[in-house]
Amino acid sequence: MRFGWSEDQLAFRDAARDLLSKECGPDVVRTAWEGAPDPKPWSSLEAMGVLSVLVPEADGGLGLDETFLVPVLEEAGRAALPQPITDTAMVAASLGVTGSVVVTDLGGPIVGSADTADGFLLAVDGGVALFDADQVEREPVTTVDRSRHAARIRATGPGRTVTDDASEVAAARDRGALGTAAELVGLADQMLAITVDYVGERQQFGKPIGSFQAVKHHLANARVAIEFAGPAVARAAWSIAEGADTASRDASMAKYLANEAAAESAKVALQCHGAIGYTVECDLHLYLKRSWALRRLWGDSDHHVDRVAGVLFE
Amino acid sequence: MNIVVCVKQIPDPADPGALDPETKTLKRDVKLILDESDSYGVEMALQLAGDEGTVSLVSMAPNSEVGGLRTALAMGAESAVLVSDDALKGSDALTTAKVLAAAIAKSSPDLVIAATESSDGYTGTVPEQIAALMDLPSVTFAKEIALDGGTAKVKRQTESGYDSVECPLPCLVSVTAGVVEPRYPSFKGIMAAKAKPVEEVTVADLGLDAGSVGWAGAGQEIVSIEDAPAREAGEVIEDEGDAHERIVAFLDELKVL
Repeated sequence: MRFGWSEDQLAFRDAARDLLSKECGPDVVRTAWEGAPDPKPWSSLEAMGVLSVLVPEADGGLGLDETFLVPVLEEAGRAALPQPITDTAMVAASLGVTGSVVVTDLGGPIVGSADTADGFLLAVDGGVALFDADQVEREPVTTVDRSRHAARIRATGPGRTVTDDASEVAAARDRGALGTAAELVGLADQMLAITVDYVGERQQFGKPIGSFQAVKHHLANARVAIEFAGPAVARAAWSIAEGADTASRDASMAKYLANEAAAESAKVALQCHGAIGYTVECDLHLYLKRSWALRRLWGDSDHHVDRVAGVLFE
Repeated sequence: MNIVVCVKQIPDPADPGALDPETKTLKRDVKLILDESDSYGVEMALQLAGDEGTVSLVSMAPNSEVGGLRTALAMGAESAVLVSDDALKGSDALTTAKVLAAAIAKSSPDLVIAATESSDGYTGTVPEQIAALMDLPSVTFAKEIALDGGTAKVKRQTESGYDSVECPLPCLVSVTAGVVEPRYPSFKGIMAAKAKPVEEVTVADLGLDAGSVGWAGAGQEIVSIEDAPAREAGEVIEDEGDAHERIVAFLDELKVL
């Protein structure tokens, strides 16, 4: 058995990282707080093929599985990409729904990118139906991460049934949890990297504060949490791709550990930045608030630890 | 239209490694990537070739390294020739040009494109040396290239603007970073690149004498290496009513105004 990403999977990840580092810096995320997000990173990712990784080859996609998409979603999380990449590329694509921007309420009633989506996958009577933008009503919701442009969505039109199979809906929820877990791992890593840079520059008592043991221990704790979450996310991707019996349990383990890693990294980042970390002028807040928002989507930590416990103690 | 692009594979600038105190050269035992300055040349070549022409790559790298070549192949180049040979260790710019010229000559291209300079060596001399060795006309610092029959029409970047020049094909053009916006490799391109041909050749395959390349053939000797001096503190200008004039004078001296 091989533990690790393949050469192609790493090449996908590196290509996405290169694109996002050039086109989705903090300034782009900040712009999304003030208005519509810059569409360029999203259209570049679409041209690269990110949105069609899970789409069958017969439909013009790459026909690959979740293990190819997850490393890319980690990069989207690292960049705090404002658009709904997990909803579109992971959940909708696996249900055979392709579109420029597709969002769903399967992960929770507050839906991101509600004002720019052209497709809405909504839970209906135990199944899922697809609605066009003119077949829904949006109730904007102010959330901690304003770059997501969230709203509650209510169907006003008939829609098109995508599936009424409960097992397919459950699998879509597992994929949503997995994709969001991957984004959270990327976010956690980014917050830690920003903080490591900061404590290497910020001086106190004539030295960088990163040289003090108390600060180092905080950062090490965050690193340990990230290193525990990453393999769990990779495992869940493999389990879902292979249709393993443990896929749901593994998705929950991944989401729980990614939630905890992001929580630890966010707490440590804020603590080590001191007062500047609380300000909206500091880039850290862009990543902090995204992590707070994503931790609650597709099931919070309590939900997922209960699911794992249910399997272990049944 | 048969276009050859010279590409260099370099240590990742984000993790550039270090100089080897024994050989006094850059350690290249790390994963090498496509020099970003070469991605502009690859993109320019792909646009000029269109659907009818072909774009191939020529590179010289140690340890049979193809990581950077795969990136350029994923962008759309069709094939590559890699010159990799232990005898090339220590090669200077002129030797590099001799090796690349021999490799390029095998395909008799209509146009050779190179970056103005690499992002790790910065000699900026190799493209013109290749042109001289191959007896090709060359144009440097191209910011725009158009092909018209048997002629390359080039806008050549200058300090104050650009010169419009024409050059008969075949020729060599070195391009600046502003020539075009390089495309990102697509996922399909990344997978397809694995199946594209990369011909690895040695110095002997190119008909060159191993004794004339590498350390043996280098016309230079690296006597010592030292760390670059730490960046000096900038000048603080106290505004006594004339700060704007001093800033303008400073920028003027840098020729950025």
